[in-house]
Amino acid sequence: MKEIIDINYFELFTGYALMLIPVFVLWYYKTGLVKDVLWATVRMTVQLLMVGVYLEYIFSLNNTLINILWVLAMSLIATYTIIQRSGLNYKLFFVPVLLSGIISISVTDAYFLGFVVKLDNIFDARYFIPVTGMLLGNTIKNVIITLDAYYKRIDNEQNLYRWHLANGASHKEALLPFMRDALKMSFNPLIATTAIMGLISLPGMMTGQILGGSNPNIAVKYQIMLLITIFSAAILNVVLTILFSNRLAFDKYFNLKKEVFRKLKTKKK
Amino acid sequence: MIKINNLFINFQKEIIFNDFNLAIERGEKLAITGKSGTGKSTLINLLAGFIPDFKGGVSIDNIILNEENINKIRKLIAWLPQEIALKFNTVSELFIAPFEFDLNKVKYPTVQDIAKIFEAFELSLDLLQKNTNEISGGQKQRIILASCLLLKKPILLIDEPTSALDDSIKKMVADYILNKKDLTVIAVTHDNYWAQNSDKIIDLG
Repeated sequence: MKEIIDINYFELFTGYALMLIPVFVLWYYKTGLVKDVLWATVRMTVQLLMVGVYLEYIFSLNNTLINILWVLAMSLIATYTIIQRSGLNYKLFFVPVLLSGIISISVTDAYFLGFVVKLDNIFDARYFIPVTGMLLGNTIKNVIITLDAYYKRIDNEQNLYRWHLANGASHKEALLPFMRDALKMSFNPLIATTAIMGLISLPGMMTGQILGGSNPNIAVKYQIMLLITIFSAAILNVVLTILFSNRLAFDKYFNLKKEVFRKLKTKKK
Repeated sequence: MIKINNLFINFQKEIIFNDFNLAIERGEKLAITGKSGTGKSTLINLLAGFIPDFKGGVSIDNIILNEENINKIRKLIAWLPQEIALKFNTVSELFIAPFEFDLNKVKYPTVQDIAKIFEAFELSLDLLQKNTNEISGGQKQRIILASCLLLKKPILLIDEPTSALDDSIKKMVADYILNKKDLTVIAVTHDNYWAQNSDKIIDLG
């Protein structure tokens, strides 16, 4: 097999020219997102370059405690990102979101790395950190969409929710249609992407492995397992987040608390 | 019996109720009238447990409205707001929705029950085969109302029960509900006929 062609820093820089397309489109349609996309690109670059350095060090250490602490730090950042993007109250949602994230990745990591891959040490840095990173990165999107759809719909369709409650529904029954719709909204795209995988899309991890010189057959098997693990982790994370946050987001009369949504800061003119 | 003693409610520094008292006997029909923003809907929402920040005493059949008793209170009431964004595809799903809840399964209406109330509300049974986007606002309002009544709760809390109805149907619906002897009805209304035929009217200004 041919050796992988490295990208030097100049070539990496020229690759950024592709970002001119989204920047132009977002500027042309006056979306107000140009600054955000530029900031996101800078962050992504710095973070990934730093992670490259950190991971090299962490992989060489391969200390279970450090690996777990690294994953906990990733979970904390994921939790902050989820709450920040969904416009919810940090105080109310931090613990439920963090706890759900940790439980869902623990269960799926343990199954995938311990039972399927059969690692002697599931906290082995080369597996534990990248796999958990993929799980967290892929589940964040689903948790944001679900939380957003669920709580905003309960708030917007308060009369429907109240109509259920006041006419005999238990709290669980009154919330059921909102849960159902939020799950559909969140998982329909993932189901669609899963269904066309390999036909019109090649997943990033598999492409990365093949580019890195792995046997495509092994890369495909890992990809299949990862897609299944991501799916399970995402749905477990989403359901637990809703179940845990339900306990804090409603008052004793089962009304949605006003403080569920973060107050938007108004810009001073 | 419904009792409200020394009720105080304020929203964002605006006082809606201050030292408000009310007593309604079982089977009594109360019409609440007044301009918008005077607290008409707040009163029926309060009784359904949707206004948790109130001061004063509220009880229904000697059950005090508080966090512990809210489920007991809600077992006694049927509540219908003025507008609901109902996302049901078919009319039958909409009509039967409250009977799908565990608590109401024993009250599942018989074909005769449905036929009787549909006749009283001048609704054709064929409507049950239609999609919700194929029926008028007035038909939808009567269907939800019929469904609420079939729950056979002792207290009906209702906001603008006839707002989407034609005059002739308004009268028929009002007569049907206001003549139900054992049913306590508290209705927010701008309908003169409904108000005049109620036992009591409270004008909130």
